[in-house]
Amino acid sequence: MATRRLVTGLLLGTATVLAGAWIPGAGAAESIRIGFHAPLTGFAAGDGKSARLGAELAVEQINAAGGVLGRPLELVTYDDQAKPDQAVPVANKLLGEGIRAAISGSYSGATRAAAAVFQQAKMPYLSAYAIHPDITRTGEYVFRTASMGEVQGRGGAKLIGEILGRKKVVLITLDNDFGQSLARGFKEKAGDFGIEILNEYTYSIKQRQFGAIVASVKRDAPEAIYASGYFFTAGPLVSQLRAGGVRATIVGQEGYDSQNFIDIAKAAAEGVLITTALDRDSDRPEVRTFIEAFEKKAGFPADMVAASTYAAVQVLAQAFERAGGTDGAAVREALAGTRDFPTAIGPITFNALGEIYKPIQVQVVKDGRFRRYAVIDDPVLLAPPAE
Amino acid sequence: MFYFELLVAGLVQGAMYAMMALGLTLIYGLLRILHIAHAAVFTLGGYVGVLAANSGLPLAAAAALAVLAAAAAGPVVYGTVYRPLLDKPPYVALIASIGLLIAMEDGFRLLFGPYGLSFAENPWFVSGPDLGGIFLNWVQIALGLSALVAIAGLGLFAVGSRTGVAWRATVDDPEIAMSFGVSPERVRLLAFALASALAGLAGFLVGLLNNLIEPGMGNITSYKGLAIVVLGGLGNVPGTLWASLLLGVAESFGTIYLDRILDRDAIAFFILVVVLMWRPQGLARGR
Repeated sequence: MATRRLVTGLLLGTATVLAGAWIPGAGAAESIRIGFHAPLTGFAAGDGKSARLGAELAVEQINAAGGVLGRPLELVTYDDQAKPDQAVPVANKLLGEGIRAAISGSYSGATRAAAAVFQQAKMPYLSAYAIHPDITRTGEYVFRTASMGEVQGRGGAKLIGEILGRKKVVLITLDNDFGQSLARGFKEKAGDFGIEILNEYTYSIKQRQFGAIVASVKRDAPEAIYASGYFFTAGPLVSQLRAGGVRATIVGQEGYDSQNFIDIAKAAAEGVLITTALDRDSDRPEVRTFIEAFEKKAGFPADMVAASTYAAVQVLAQAFERAGGTDGAAVREALAGTRDFPTAIGPITFNALGEIYKPIQVQVVKDGRFRRYAVIDDPVLLAPPAE
Repeated sequence: MFYFELLVAGLVQGAMYAMMALGLTLIYGLLRILHIAHAAVFTLGGYVGVLAANSGLPLAAAAALAVLAAAAAGPVVYGTVYRPLLDKPPYVALIASIGLLIAMEDGFRLLFGPYGLSFAENPWFVSGPDLGGIFLNWVQIALGLSALVAIAGLGLFAVGSRTGVAWRATVDDPEIAMSFGVSPERVRLLAFALASALAGLAGFLVGLLNNLIEPGMGNITSYKGLAIVVLGGLGNVPGTLWASLLLGVAESFGTIYLDRILDRDAIAFFILVVVLMWRPQGLARGR
């Protein structure tokens, strides 16, 4: 008898709670849910953390200023471990949670996989910093707020061959989507700037010991080294190159763009140049507010990954505003029509493929921090593909 | 000159593998357990060392702390994970070991953050003797020396000392050994402590060499350690040393000449497959 009462009580209680959830809260504006996936665990968890913090900061600031169309933004975050086989179920999961758009805070492999899922569901999708070319080719619902790998590689060729005037170059390439697209772009334009590529060495993302590559670079005796990687490979690589007696100029890319790189390589990082999207010495207000607010929120200096996810949220928010709602097709139109929208990584305009043209920020490590070195503004050289 | 440098780089790498593989082969020899979670004490040594060094201790003291922490953790792992499973089939312990490694890696990430830690001061890395154009830093020399000392020490110990002989007796016949007054349990604890101490030291030194301690830094080394132990003949100490050095050098040359064909880490397993197809008992004569 008591058991029957207990069961009845439980059923009634559950029904009440469920009913309560169905009734929309009086007075509370329904939030706009944005899907977000990033490598929160696994080998890329460092970048995942930066990505998450950047996106969260943007959402906080936008909500504090009144939200979008009077409604707060809500980030629905999942961990994809930067693995394509995790990204696909995560994307499907997000689609089932009432999101109106999605942002990738993850690497190229995972983003490419998720892009296919979102495109098929006609869900607007922004790749914050994943640079493989096939991502935007997935379809018209996929956009990218970062410069493609090939474009950055071409910029690197101009930096080394023309701005620095170094002609004998060795490539050290990370053999994944990221590194390979950078190397492709570099090799494509190297000849235009008089660069002779002495040799190219590849390494895998798990590598931390580069003794053999250092010995080979010493034998090649280049004037400059174009090395792709992330902070956890570039840090050891650069410190081992310098410790091995290699004095050539080292040029990296946005994978190095993190204070962690400087913490690992220490004195060896001085003078290293990178092509990236975040200009620490920018005097644009939207960049400065981001840099200062991020360091306050996170407790460490801002990096390119955080700036990119922050910018992606900003771009999405203005698309909702301009579309006047959250309907997928309207939001896609609004995204495609984005013109010179100011963000933490510069003004954003999408072309027909969903790619952007952006000048490349060249930063140099000076006294333990990234500082501006140059800006490469070359719409012809750095033109993204339009199809 | 260039080939010599490649060789030296390979030998340093091989020394690191040797320190890991020695522990693995010791434990296998005693318990017939493939202790995959050995990498966890490797990483632990790295973390304890970097935290100690960054809080102001001199590097030598930090190294000692790293070794002690690892040596203490090893027997704990044995007691909590392996001892209860000793009477089960060996694959149970193997699976438990893999599970432990995965859990500890994520434990390190939760405790110490995903970015990894770096040494604030790394004097051993930035200085070293100039051996006629080859720049070896003190960390690399320390790795090589530690491996040599460890192997020589273990070799002497196993043959020359009473405890060492007792060890070997415990493997061959635990019951007879017990009747001679040898405690198999003490032998096992000692083995775990020693093997883990070596791994902890290796983790600390590798952390210095990379100036990066990451939660997952032990993974590949542990699986490769497994390949080395099998190559060298399970339980065979000199065979393990040769296999470690051979692998280090093969990887060094493979990185330059085979990098378009084969991933560097794949070289270890490729060699393993080839050798085992040719000589299933491994390279050296087994015990």
